[in-house]
Amino acid sequence: MDKDELVEYFRTQVRQDPEVPSAVAAIRTLLEFLKRDQTGETILGLRENLTQTIRRLEEADSSVAVSSGGELFLRFISLTSLEHPDLSQCKKVMVERGELFLKKISLSRSKVAKLCHTFIKDGAKILTHSSSRVVLKVLESAAADKKRFTVYVTESQPDSAGRQMADKLQNLNIPVTVVLDAAVGYIMEKVDLVIVGAEGVVESGGIINKIGTYQLAVCSKAHNKPFYVVAESFKFVRLYPLNQQDVPERFKYKADTLKAVEDLAEEHPMIDYTPPSLITLIFTDLGVLTPSAVSDELIKLYL
Amino acid sequence: MPGADKEADLTERIEAFLADLKRGGCGTGPIRGSGETARETTALLRKVTAQARWSSAGDLMEIIRKEGRRMTAAQPSETTVGNMVLRVLKIIREEYARSRGSSEETDQQESLHKLLTSGGLSEENFRQHFVHLKANVIEAINELLTELEGTTDNIAMQALEHIHSNEVIMTVGRSRTVEAFLKDAARKRKFHVIVAECAPFCQGHEMATNLSKASIETTVIADAAIFAVMSRVNKVIIGTQTVLANGGLRAVNGTHTVALAARHHSTPLIVCAPMFKLSPQVLYGQFLRPHGLVFALTCTILSKVNVHCPVFDYVPPELITLFISNIGGNAPSYIYRLMSELYHPEDHDL
Repeated sequence: MDKDELVEYFRTQVRQDPEVPSAVAAIRTLLEFLKRDQTGETILGLRENLTQTIRRLEEADSSVAVSSGGELFLRFISLTSLEHPDLSQCKKVMVERGELFLKKISLSRSKVAKLCHTFIKDGAKILTHSSSRVVLKVLESAAADKKRFTVYVTESQPDSAGRQMADKLQNLNIPVTVVLDAAVGYIMEKVDLVIVGAEGVVESGGIINKIGTYQLAVCSKAHNKPFYVVAESFKFVRLYPLNQQDVPERFKYKADTLKAVEDLAEEHPMIDYTPPSLITLIFTDLGVLTPSAVSDELIKLYL
Repeated sequence: MPGADKEADLTERIEAFLADLKRGGCGTGPIRGSGETARETTALLRKVTAQARWSSAGDLMEIIRKEGRRMTAAQPSETTVGNMVLRVLKIIREEYARSRGSSEETDQQESLHKLLTSGGLSEENFRQHFVHLKANVIEAINELLTELEGTTDNIAMQALEHIHSNEVIMTVGRSRTVEAFLKDAARKRKFHVIVAECAPFCQGHEMATNLSKASIETTVIADAAIFAVMSRVNKVIIGTQTVLANGGLRAVNGTHTVALAARHHSTPLIVCAPMFKLSPQVLYGQFLRPHGLVFALTCTILSKVNVHCPVFDYVPPELITLFISNIGGNAPSYIYRLMSELYHPEDHDL
């Protein structure tokens, strides 16, 4: 399966089902590659091909989620190949387990929503940032549970994703107000809690998310409001940034910008890093975790 | 018929226990300390295991869950009851896994690793019958009981490492664990204790009396004086009713004030809590109980005034320095790990 076909497959996945998380689409693409790959004769060769494929996918969609999905898949290959050194049998087992894994993680979002919606009390005022499908699912579950709450969404420039979130929430009959990104400090005294999604959860327990999340976290800490993050477990990524500069450039900008522009210093970054000290709890499909528990999970997987 | 007698006896004991629990939270605090409650609960669950009719681990777990739900419904604020039920459920799972000979017992938790490597949706329904399961479970519950009996001593044994001579220690209200802790240190060290009286029940007075009987220099202060006195305190050592899963506390009313005052003066806050107080709950908010206190107010405004007297306080984990439990000292950020060793995630909501 050649590289362009792969990228097309990935794009089709995302187009057909806009709800699918990008990491899941990436893993599905890689599994498809695995099924169709005839050229590999050794496991090392297979890994090489996969690494190149992942790099190609990252060029198509530079988000952290695709990178974490790719790494997870590589890890999955390594773990399976340790048990079955024979390539053909290994491939069979990989394909089976891969399908099972995909089935499990497609349920992750509902698991997260089930855990989180009990933290939303009647009459709560929630602040969220930009457009996150996981947060939408959480709010949907809370609304289905007959809870009454209001939502404030930040507009989230430069792509005004917040307005799309507001539209989706209005379709669910949840009272929602769009606020300017600059109005976060102004609105913070009114809200009871802040819930955001994450594009990636890093090893320290911090998160990488749409630009503006860090500001939101600092404000909520200053006002002593709980700051909750909802993320599926496949978003855990092996990065350990200590500040904003440590986040790799390839995640900060959109894929097209990275290819087209010469001097990235002139571009506005699309994501920022929120340190774990500002986060109260992280809701994942593995349970409710404190930020310090995240590195434990990653260690269990990678070491 | 001896069988029916035993069953009636069992139900009677459970009813008596439930009645005790219900009465327990009515005024001067619970009738028995939480250690005793934990022991009673475990002993009762052992009796249920021994006498109830069950053929597979799944049945036993259902029975225990049912009884557990009744017991926690009787007194929701007494979390040790629920915790012991969860411990027993975990014991049953472990013994079952051991009988089956599977190596699953070590990694029961959901993890990314499990997601990637598991070869199939493991539908563990605990239906297999094992002859020795009953004996094994009862033995394990006996071990748990021995552990429970030794908790206060285990904690008190660590006192000498944390308390030094000529220190000023502050505590709040009355905790049997802290009392034993301080008494043990007093055998070898000379130090001073300041007890906040903890109105309106003033259990601090009883604590001060007990401590002074053990020849410890004690001073009682009013709750309002906590902040004023804090600058002279070296350490704050408190007990708690429950330790929550995020490392926070649900402790007697006034503890949050002490914690904030300690944080302001950068005084270390040490919590002495045995492992059976660790609860998988995270959110605390809904358990604020307005207490029916009767003030001796004779004026007519009584009808226009609402009297709220919450029994418990939530202390966030950032304010706590160290947890001392029967298995040693731990940081609050490590509590989630201890929880995963004690309880199985599927049992978290009974």
